[in-house]
Amino acid sequence: MTTPTVLRPSAETQYADELTALAATDDKPRPPQWRLSPQAVVRYVLGGTLSDGTVITPKYVGDRRLVEVAVGTLVTDRALLLVGVPGTAKSWLSEHLAAAISGNSTLIVQGTAGTSEEAVRYGWNYARLISEGPSEAALVPSPVLRAMRTGAVARIEELTRMPAEVQDSLITILSEKALPVPELNLQFQAIPGFTVIATANDRDRGVNQMSSALARRFNTVVLPPPATEDAEVEIVSQRAAQLGRALELPSEPPALDEVRRVVRIFRELRGGSTVDGRTQLKKPSGSLSTAEAISVVTSGMALAAHFGDGSLGADELAAGLLGAVIKDRVSDTAAWQEYLEAVVKERKEWRDLYRACRELDPA
Amino acid sequence: MARPLPGMPGAGPGVTKPLPDRVTLLGIRHHGPGSARMVRAALDVVRPQLVLVEGPPDADALIEHVGELIPPVALLLHDAADPADAAFWPFARFSPEWQALTWGARHNVDVRFADLPAGISLSREKTDDVDRVVVDPLGVLAEAAGFDDPERWWEDVVEHSSAEPTQLAAAVAEAMTALREEFADTVDERTLQREAWMRQVLRKALTEYDGPIVVVCGAWHVPALRELPAAKADADLLKGLPKRKIAGSWVPWSHGRLAATSGYGAGVASPGWYAHLWEYPTDTIPRWMARTSHVLREEGLPASTASAVEAVRLADTLAALRGRPSPGLSEVSEAALAVLCGGDDVGLRIVHEKLVVGEELGQVGEGVPRSPLATDLERLQKKLRLPASATEKNMRLDLRREIDRGRSRLLRQLHVLHVRWGEPDETSTLGTFAEAWTVRWDPGLAVAVAAAARHGATVEGAAEHVLVERAKSAETVAHAAEVLQEAVACELVGAVAAARAALDRCAAAATDALELLQALPALAATVRYGSVRGTDPELLRAAMHGLLARGSAGLPLACYGIDDDTAEVALSTLDKAHEAVILAADDDHSAGWWDALHRLVRTEPSAHGLPTGRATRLLWEDDRLDTEAVAIRMQRAVSTFGTGTSFVAGFLRGSAVRLAADPRLLGLVDEWLTGLPNEAFEDALPLLRRAISNFSAPERRTLAERVAQGGGPAVLIADDGDPERTARLVEFVRGLYEGARV
Repeated sequence: MTTPTVLRPSAETQYADELTALAATDDKPRPPQWRLSPQAVVRYVLGGTLSDGTVITPKYVGDRRLVEVAVGTLVTDRALLLVGVPGTAKSWLSEHLAAAISGNSTLIVQGTAGTSEEAVRYGWNYARLISEGPSEAALVPSPVLRAMRTGAVARIEELTRMPAEVQDSLITILSEKALPVPELNLQFQAIPGFTVIATANDRDRGVNQMSSALARRFNTVVLPPPATEDAEVEIVSQRAAQLGRALELPSEPPALDEVRRVVRIFRELRGGSTVDGRTQLKKPSGSLSTAEAISVVTSGMALAAHFGDGSLGADELAAGLLGAVIKDRVSDTAAWQEYLEAVVKERKEWRDLYRACRELDPA
Repeated sequence: MARPLPGMPGAGPGVTKPLPDRVTLLGIRHHGPGSARMVRAALDVVRPQLVLVEGPPDADALIEHVGELIPPVALLLHDAADPADAAFWPFARFSPEWQALTWGARHNVDVRFADLPAGISLSREKTDDVDRVVVDPLGVLAEAAGFDDPERWWEDVVEHSSAEPTQLAAAVAEAMTALREEFADTVDERTLQREAWMRQVLRKALTEYDGPIVVVCGAWHVPALRELPAAKADADLLKGLPKRKIAGSWVPWSHGRLAATSGYGAGVASPGWYAHLWEYPTDTIPRWMARTSHVLREEGLPASTASAVEAVRLADTLAALRGRPSPGLSEVSEAALAVLCGGDDVGLRIVHEKLVVGEELGQVGEGVPRSPLATDLERLQKKLRLPASATEKNMRLDLRREIDRGRSRLLRQLHVLHVRWGEPDETSTLGTFAEAWTVRWDPGLAVAVAAAARHGATVEGAAEHVLVERAKSAETVAHAAEVLQEAVACELVGAVAAARAALDRCAAAATDALELLQALPALAATVRYGSVRGTDPELLRAAMHGLLARGSAGLPLACYGIDDDTAEVALSTLDKAHEAVILAADDDHSAGWWDALHRLVRTEPSAHGLPTGRATRLLWEDDRLDTEAVAIRMQRAVSTFGTGTSFVAGFLRGSAVRLAADPRLLGLVDEWLTGLPNEAFEDALPLLRRAISNFSAPERRTLAERVAQGGGPAVLIADDGDPERTARLVEFVRGLYEGARV
């Protein structure tokens, strides 16, 4: 493994060994410009052991079929849209797919309310434009355009946060696989291998609905929240441990019991009832995603490392939990209080957590 | 075909002979289109003289009608004496068994069934619960081949195979033989008996025919047929099995029913998909996607042809990615979900319902023998333009139109025969001339039709017969009245007369006024609305009035000296009878009813509180008893030990809405409460609490709001000179109501 000199190395750097090993053992046909065969991409994402003994770590914990549909979509040079609530590993999956297919996961357009058309199509180097007039040299390509020219995967994060008219500038790119530049009276045509992976969030506020013309040009894969508590616990502890390493936290990897507690609290509040189905709960307004559960655990780890005894406990979790659950001062506080009193207090082995939460917020 | 093979489980080596070469065994998967194709191709190659098909030999006589059927159809076989004891053997177009049957019909080749007769298996089903192969043979093979789903394995290896059909059959046989050896100890007795019977049929066929013979049976049974042990061993195995006389016919079947468990054991999860595979061996996936987008468009969901093209590409890619020879149902479904449905599984569910399962209903030609009742039913369906359809349909019948009246009559007569083809929607009132029905023909109703056949040769005759029988055996007035109501709805004159007679008979014998009154509701509706039906309403009116007169006379006495349970009955009878009187009784008899209520209220010593309280309220509501009198009556009830609770309960129960909406009633209760002297008030409170305890939470809330709004000042008027205490009391009462809030 390469020594991380950056805070978070991109997937193709971090898993360079695995990608090399996969490429070496891969004997299936590869589509044009693909670094790996589709089968090897699926294996890279889902994990497994290669014929030469290399262990591929699983990147995505979930339904194999979803990953196959995603890879199948990219093989047929259709654009892929990954939809799901926050924390369903949309961006994560998109990054790894791009890394495995093109060896480059950095051709990203980040969708925000302020994303302009230049970010999707092309911009101009104005100094050059003024001095030399419109020319190809004065054109500043967007990540999408660069992907088209190299036959790579372009990633668009949070597609639905972009204004609708910016989203629609993708239509020609996706259907004609070409980007006209009227100013130069030419058009760039994508070479084989070019495709787009977009992610979108269907739950949050402040999204712009996709036009149906654009939606038609995507194959949609809905990534569900983890189906079982165990699956979610696995995801949270795996990611938290990785992040802890990346942040060089001196604390121990999180104890499974603590992770399970966090996941259970999140699942119960998200679902509106306790796991045994006996108690009905108020649902807080936040989405309480797996990603937030991960951040509760990592911030707890950081607290434990720097201010505690190094091991993650109830005191460290309490602060993060409060922040994750209470997004709306009034209604969420009520929901959280109710949960504390009705559920946390009643569970004997959770006494420490109840006490810690009460100390923080003596209501 | 039949080469020397390893020994069969359970058979001795000495006497066992290999099957002659002229017998070809085709091991199939029931309802597998690939197997069906294999069977058809193999039959064309072998050109047998006789085809033996796994199925009940009792139905051999029905095979000749195959040409008149349009699948899906099913063999319905039932006990000749007890038609309700029945079993089905369904066939779809893509069933290998069906292909064998039709091949025989087309080529004038004899076809026989070769399984255990229904006469034996029907009794067996009853004694043993479920006997099935404990080991799933295909599951084991699929697992060995690295597949997670046996259906998919079979699809890949057999259904998608293009190998020469008889070679394919031989390969299947070999695999099964190996399996049977491994799992010899899991084969149960029933399976062994069935196979013994198959061998017996085969032996007989071998002596009768000297040409080639083809056996079409479940793959699992093939190894057991590859060698013939001594005939005596099989005969011993089958000795002493009870056998019953069986009758039956072909009945239409549906894809929806095929999806459920059937006579062949396993059901088919995706009959629509299989039918598609069978019908379109080429261009399978493009056609499927075209149909999918068509279904989605019909539902108003966007699904363009361009998207269908992309879906086909994705399905093909997925199949390649998974190393499958061609896309299966899971690939096409996943591709449709991603491309055509935009990841939203609502669309996919519609596709599943309409295409993957489908709602095709088969047809049975007119030449196929069936009970006279079934023939009559078909005639009526045609005449009334009400075809049996497997899809649910909501209908509104206007009884003034001849055809709709006929339809209503038919549906009701079928109800009497327990053939619940349609369900009347009683919740929506469409007035006197219309009825709402939900109609859906479930092929399983064929059993009910078969069972009803013993009652008569026509729907009308059978229904009349059933109703007359029920009328004869009626023992209570209410029961007889119910029969009468049904008979009128079915417009069966003979049954009406019989029910009338039964009603008179029961009424004459009845001594209990409550029993007489219980019959009123059933009659009242008919009297009120019966004129549309063409029966003489006068007849019923006279009957109802007779009951009412006698019931009214006996009412006070019937409510006197009864226990609490009986009082509950009395209360509900009183309520319903009252509704009936308001609905249908003429002035004279209504007057008699009011008089009865008066007498009930005045009876001394008091009758049971529940009906008395209710009668008091009914009288007061109709202004037949003034408020003063009611207040007195209430006060007295409270003062009488024991009856107070029930009186207040009878008075108030079920009146929550009225109490909240009618200021007069609320005022009355209010006045009564506030007028009570102190001790009496304290005594009354628990009674009141109990009386309103069965109001629902929202009702109590509404009531509490009403009291909170307007009740306060009214209570204050009841000032007995001690303002402090009054204020406390007001708080107390309010607390009582507030406590009732939830």
